[in-house]
Amino acid sequence: MTVPALRVSGLSVWIGSGADSIQVVDGVSFDIDPGEATGLVGESGCGKTMTAMAILGLLPSTGVRVSCDHIEINGRDVSRLNTAQRRKVLGRDIAMIFQQPATALDPVFTMGQQISAVYRRHADGNQRRAHEAMLASLESVGFERPEEIAQAYPHELSGGMRQLSMIAMAMVCKPAVIIADEPTTALDSSTRALILHQLQQLQALHGTAMLFISHDLGVVRQSCRNVMVMYCGRLIEKTDCQNLFSHARHPYSAGLLSCIPQLGATRPGRISSIPGQVPALADLPSGCHFAARCNRSEPRCSESTPVLDAQDKKGVACFRPL
Amino acid sequence: MLGVTFISFLLMVYFGPDKTYELLGKNPTEEQIREVRHELGYDRPFLVRYGDYLRELVTFDLGLSDSNGEPVAAILARTLPVSLALVLPGFVIGNLLGLALGLLAAWYRGKWLDKLVMSASVVGMSISFIVIIIGLQILLCTPYGLNLFPVRGWQVDGPGSYLYYVTVPTLALVLVTLGYNTRFYRAVMAEEIERDHIRTLRAYGASPAEQLFKHVLKNSLVPVLTRIMFSIPFVVISGSLLLESYFGIPGIGLVTFNAITSGDQPILKAVVGLTGILFVVALMINDMLYSLVDPRIARP
Repeated sequence: MTVPALRVSGLSVWIGSGADSIQVVDGVSFDIDPGEATGLVGESGCGKTMTAMAILGLLPSTGVRVSCDHIEINGRDVSRLNTAQRRKVLGRDIAMIFQQPATALDPVFTMGQQISAVYRRHADGNQRRAHEAMLASLESVGFERPEEIAQAYPHELSGGMRQLSMIAMAMVCKPAVIIADEPTTALDSSTRALILHQLQQLQALHGTAMLFISHDLGVVRQSCRNVMVMYCGRLIEKTDCQNLFSHARHPYSAGLLSCIPQLGATRPGRISSIPGQVPALADLPSGCHFAARCNRSEPRCSESTPVLDAQDKKGVACFRPL
Repeated sequence: MLGVTFISFLLMVYFGPDKTYELLGKNPTEEQIREVRHELGYDRPFLVRYGDYLRELVTFDLGLSDSNGEPVAAILARTLPVSLALVLPGFVIGNLLGLALGLLAAWYRGKWLDKLVMSASVVGMSISFIVIIIGLQILLCTPYGLNLFPVRGWQVDGPGSYLYYVTVPTLALVLVTLGYNTRFYRAVMAEEIERDHIRTLRAYGASPAEQLFKHVLKNSLVPVLTRIMFSIPFVVISGSLLLESYFGIPGIGLVTFNAITSGDQPILKAVVGLTGILFVVALMINDMLYSLVDPRIARP
């Protein structure tokens, strides 16, 4: 049995302190194997980004409480590291690709300076070797003239080029895990296809595990083998992509799928939606959070919480799955 | 530039000192008044006089002082270096210290260190300039206190005597400006620290020192430089005005102070014009520095 590249177990996040605190991530557990891409989908505000930030330890120390059993990268628990030890892991073993490359890159340093800084910090302080690694990384994401990109400031690049440079920055130390938080949301569809293609290629080449966060099921289907669905801070279904699209088991997953407008559908009627509203995180119902909106719910759904088998690749948190 | 000189000249001509009665003494005749006003050029059209003023400024032919007949240009050449030497250390220390404290407070924003620094700044801002000067004079310059430094005067003939005379005014200037500087720099830095690209740095394992001194500092240079360049004319003219009059230092501030009280128009005209020039030059340098600091601003 292979050691998962990323193992998260029992991750919870609360915002606020004391009695007023709101739980935004609730007992999230999953494994991602080397070379595997797993999508994390869910509506805005369901806790996707919070999960990513908590894995990296980037949440502020005041006003936010994080607890977890462990977070392992290649079998090494990184959740108990102190700040200095954690800094050595970030960017070297696990790297993040952000949603908005326009603001996530420093406007007053060139791309080359920013990428080589990551390499020099983690791999090799030598300026010339860092420069070479930086150029190689830029080339590996598909730039034909990496020197030009290296000398450019972020504002001189297009959105797609910026995101590709960001990917080059993430890959420069060949990390075991990449977390991509909505990497294509800010881009047009042809650029999106290019970025997804490059990500997949690099992932296959280096055997990188990827956690791909998105609210776009279509994008996840294109780039991931496995998928996890999140609702109100909990994972409610884990499966592979094909299965989710052909046979979603959780009523919420099925509802999400039915919301995707079909191109060429015979009747351009109303786009279907899930009845009801997402409950406020401050006032979550007990039991299954989806019970009130679910047409299959029964009394026990709001009495006890259905659980997902922690490290399994497939499972559904529902008493009456489809 | 034209605007500044125009408005200040307007104010001086219509509300400023009028020498006619000073020269004539009591009970002059109509005839005498007209004669003197003609001699002084007061009866010429406003725009002609304004043109003369501009020509004086451009050619540095600033006329003679009314009070002692010395050429104004010579007075300025003598006093300006003194003023610069007086305010420069305080200006530099005040800004560097403000930057350091602002950075510290911004990094620990919300924590006790931030609160301590910020409350101290408010206290510093609330104490009047005069109280600080007199307080320092009593503490450091009199037998009631340490009696280490002179209360007044400026007889500089070397590094030792420079330190001897400059220390207390410098301390006063630092104390007065530090609160304002720290608050301003903290606000700028705190905003920069919250930016997304600083979060990216953290996600890639950059140390706090690298985040702060490389990225936060370079990104905040535009507002920081603007503040520094803008405050230069203020500090040189108005800062030295108060300092010099309290410490009896023969700089441009004291000259201006005396010119105001005695109604010495040629000197006032020169100082006001000079301040305007200083402002414009500072702003021009500021704009040029922008393009060096921020690649998004096109290079000239």
